[in-house]
Amino acid sequence: MKLKNFYTEHESFILGTGFIVFLLILWESIPLWYTLPKGMALFFTTPSDIAAAFHRLLLNGELEKHFYVSAIAFLAGLGLSIVVGLPLGLVMGRSATLDALLDPYVTASNATPRIVFLPLLILWFGIGIWSKIAIVFVGAVFPLLINTYVGVKNVNQVLVNVVRSFGASEWQLMKIVVLPNSVPYIIAGLRLAIGRAILGVVVGEFFGSSQGLGYMIASAATNYKVDVVFVGVAIFMALSVILTLAVKQLESRLASWRPETAKTF
Amino acid sequence: MAAREYFTEHRRLWLGLCSFFFLVAAWELVLTYIVPVNPFFFTKPSLIADAFKEQIQSAKLWHDLAVSSQAFLWGFSFAVIVGIPVGLVMGWRRRVEYSLDPFLTALYASPLVALAPLFIIVFGVGVLGKAALVFLLAVFPFVFNAFAGVKSTDSLLINVIRSFGGREKDLYLKVILPSTMPYIIAGARLAIGRGLVGIIVGEFYAASEGIGFAILQAGDTYRLPDMFVGIIILSLIAVGLTELMRKLELMVAPWRASDEAR
Repeated sequence: MKLKNFYTEHESFILGTGFIVFLLILWESIPLWYTLPKGMALFFTTPSDIAAAFHRLLLNGELEKHFYVSAIAFLAGLGLSIVVGLPLGLVMGRSATLDALLDPYVTASNATPRIVFLPLLILWFGIGIWSKIAIVFVGAVFPLLINTYVGVKNVNQVLVNVVRSFGASEWQLMKIVVLPNSVPYIIAGLRLAIGRAILGVVVGEFFGSSQGLGYMIASAATNYKVDVVFVGVAIFMALSVILTLAVKQLESRLASWRPETAKTF
Repeated sequence: MAAREYFTEHRRLWLGLCSFFFLVAAWELVLTYIVPVNPFFFTKPSLIADAFKEQIQSAKLWHDLAVSSQAFLWGFSFAVIVGIPVGLVMGWRRRVEYSLDPFLTALYASPLVALAPLFIIVFGVGVLGKAALVFLLAVFPFVFNAFAGVKSTDSLLINVIRSFGGREKDLYLKVILPSTMPYIIAGARLAIGRGLVGIIVGEFYAASEGIGFAILQAGDTYRLPDMFVGIIILSLIAVGLTELMRKLELMVAPWRASDEAR
């Protein structure tokens, strides 16, 4: 009876992890009950092989080197997009004229997958770290900008009027009402921006690069080292899941009053 | 006075247009009269316009677009066919939700585009590899939006159908699907963006035709005007499709003028 109680209490956790474990075991066991044809075997790997490759790469320091390069591009690009996106979003939210002037570019760029600018950015910034930072920046800046903008737009007008009537300047208004009110939106924007930034790092390093996790994946794929490909993919997966879920946690704490919408990443 | 009223009413539109034309004019004039344009590094609107005219008349552009859209449509259709049922079942059956949610959320949150090199190598540089990539990226918005749609279905409506003796089929067709529709269309909007990323990355990585390949090749051979034409065409398509979805969303669910993430 106790076991049953335990199960009903933790059902979602048990089923969730159970399913993932089941899939991993299934994957691992494929070679046992099915001999792959020669051509397919080249592309096939098992979780244990991937773990072994991870261990190997970790020990010879290769992973650390690639990780470091990718992390720099990610942090620099994301930092730059925060520095640019936040103020611009705030200003666009407060000034209707500026909003009207910039809106065409923001809307068009936001709808376009920014990854398409990659060849141009490589042409401009070379194949070094700068083109990666640039692609991360153009990917991450728009979600931040737009979410900040929406946050400012959704500020309660009554609060604004109250603060105004008591003689606050635009700067004070920003500090007391607008900014605190937009924080949940900004955090939501940050979560989207993290996803775009990681996408930028991955794809940016696929092309014209000699370092970084993306490069590791691309070169391993060309050499049919499928286990190494999955090591890279798993690292990116783990990072994105951890980062986005952490921000999501923050988001739900800050804005528990906002209505539930579908998950977006 | 009417003109003035007209202007204040459409102020936003006019300012936007002005800023666009001003930018284009400034770009052209600066590069013509002040700094001579370095053709290996930058280009100017008049050259882009020439390249645009030339490309529109050439068969290659249309061929590239056809190749890319074929892969996109295959991947996207499969994403619809697979994603929506999975999402509906996940929303309706609690145990399925518990089992699938952590796994699919992890996949949704991670940059699956990292698998692109592997996909291209396994499935080849043709339609199949790109379509598989598009499917992989586009399926999750459908799953999670259909899921959220079912979850948000008014349980009162479900109870009404039940009390009047409606069958499971009626429940799905008369309540769940209609109330999920706006969510699914919102998902389609997200899926379009992700699917386009799949096409572009797939074609950047390895392809011999397609719009992404055309952009990459123009860049590699320093034909900047042609590259800009490709980028502009792709943005037009992306903006067009997203706007279409937004219109559709308003049509299906006018009460849900969503302002989250344009």
